[in-house]
Amino acid sequence: MTDSAADGYGLTHVPSGVLGLDQVLRGGFFSGGVYIIRGAPGAGKTILANQICFRHAEAGGRALYVTLLSESHARMMQHMERLSFYNPDTIPSRLYFVSGFNALEEDGLRGLMTLLRREVRNHRASLLVLDGLLAVEESSGSDREFRKFIHEFQAYASAENCIALLLTNGSRRDYHPEHTMVDGLITLEDVRFGKRAQRELEVRKFRGSGSLRGRHPFRISDQGVTVYPRVETVYGLLGPEEEDHVGDARVSTGAPELDRLLGGGLQQGTTTLLLGASGSGKTTLGTQFLAQASAEHPALHFGFYETPMRLMANARTLELPLERLHAEGALHILWRSPTEQMLDDLGHLLIETVEQRGIKRLFVDGIGGFMEAADLPSRVPSVFSALSNELRKRDVTTLYTAETSNLVGPSVFSPLDGLSAIADGLVLLRYVEAGAHLHRLLSVLKMRGGSFDAAVREFTIGKGGVDVFTDGETAAALLGLGTVQTGTPFGQVRATPRPDSAPTTLPDGG
Amino acid sequence: MPTVLVVDDEFGVAEVIEAILEDEGYRVLTAVNGKQGLERLAEAQVDLVVLDVMMPILDGPGMLKRMRAEGFAAVPVVMMSSLPESVVREQAPHAQAFLRKPFRAQAVADIVRSLIGPGNAPA
Repeated sequence: MTDSAADGYGLTHVPSGVLGLDQVLRGGFFSGGVYIIRGAPGAGKTILANQICFRHAEAGGRALYVTLLSESHARMMQHMERLSFYNPDTIPSRLYFVSGFNALEEDGLRGLMTLLRREVRNHRASLLVLDGLLAVEESSGSDREFRKFIHEFQAYASAENCIALLLTNGSRRDYHPEHTMVDGLITLEDVRFGKRAQRELEVRKFRGSGSLRGRHPFRISDQGVTVYPRVETVYGLLGPEEEDHVGDARVSTGAPELDRLLGGGLQQGTTTLLLGASGSGKTTLGTQFLAQASAEHPALHFGFYETPMRLMANARTLELPLERLHAEGALHILWRSPTEQMLDDLGHLLIETVEQRGIKRLFVDGIGGFMEAADLPSRVPSVFSALSNELRKRDVTTLYTAETSNLVGPSVFSPLDGLSAIADGLVLLRYVEAGAHLHRLLSVLKMRGGSFDAAVREFTIGKGGVDVFTDGETAAALLGLGTVQTGTPFGQVRATPRPDSAPTTLPDGG
Repeated sequence: MPTVLVVDDEFGVAEVIEAILEDEGYRVLTAVNGKQGLERLAEAQVDLVVLDVMMPILDGPGMLKRMRAEGFAAVPVVMMSSLPESVVREQAPHAQAFLRKPFRAQAVADIVRSLIGPGNAPA
């Protein structure tokens, strides 16, 4: 039988076998339940239903796929053969395909019901897919007749303990009496934002247990359907004690004077934002942080802009031992092109990699890759909040970078509202011009739950990475010069102005 | 005129084969499941059966078995399916030929001609 699990009320969860969907359904469908899967043509209903059937058959169940006026079986099989879940060994012994069209055409709803009953019993099906509910609706003489069909179908599925999935394009009406009758309703949609499109799944109704609410993106690839539950609904759900949990242990950034400014290093399990203009030293500092990895405390570089080859080349130039650490397995690198990504896919990938590799040091370079992947930019802070909480639970110390839009000038712009408020720590890197030279300055703006030195320090980049000056004289001199153009006085970080957002100001000292 | 019985439950499949074979000069009977297929066999002289594998009520392998038991063993059978031939062979080892779905019109005509000769299509 399938890998099912009964709850305390006699309902048995049967996993769908679709990555992510069982998480959304909190375990899967219920035996004997009737569920409508609704979506426009091309939304992915047939692939999803086939995938569930093949997985069900592989898990030891028996599935029956009944088509009405839909894609021909042969065409459907041709398309399924290309997908990794397709397993011809399960057909016809555990997965069977028949057409219900003739029965519906010749004997109406009664004929179709008779066929479904007989075939479910003949094949001892524990899962039934009826592909083309709209054809049933069209064949019904009235709403009442259609409702009676659904009612009888539901009673029969329950009696046979058979899960039934009814696939439909929706009807031409706004009124859907069947939705009130079935045990669950799942919608598949293709949502456009700008020129991009994203597939989204939503469980609108699910009797018997909760489900992860809202829309969850999904992808159709050679592996079939993969659902990515929204990061905010899955990760970082902390109790009050966990929320406040920050250990006393400190983690070195690799820059001794910065560690001193931070009060002995980054607090283990916290998330710190490196904010600065392009070329200000954020990636170098992150690389330095990664270079402190060990077999006991492995590190992960999660980046969008520097390819692994470029990252290694830069580390060689800085004489930082990333290649050795990578070869020893103490450093892992995940690189994704910043284009056409999916925010929730990235979030899951990050946490899964941290989990699988036992990562303790994480450098995310940079947050712009997440922002470009976001369907709604306003989601990024809450996604990062969820990820930060999840990383804290796992004692992962995280540095991530965010780029300010201005190189020098009277203000420092954070790329997104609310972002710096989520970080436990905030380190600002900036340029100042003095005479004919650009100098770099660094300071700690915020370290939640810990004391820190807010002094401004000049730093240089060279062998070994970032070298933060131990005294503040040069910084003071640079900032004291009347001719210097400088960033905003610390504590006045503003979000990059956008038409839909007002600049925000951080509270002093975080 | 040679007669071919096409048995398939899916709307459109039997109709397409019927049109292809009638153009080739065969008479074509159709049925939507194995049970109906056996009834057609009992009613008319059939020279060849083109038989789907998965159908309601009585499937293709089931009908083939019944044909052998009920005196129709001599009628050649072409099994057709979207499944690989090896899978179908296991289900229906006594079939004479196999037609993979989706098929080309020429493949249908060729396979029928090879088993029962040409139809009576005008030259």
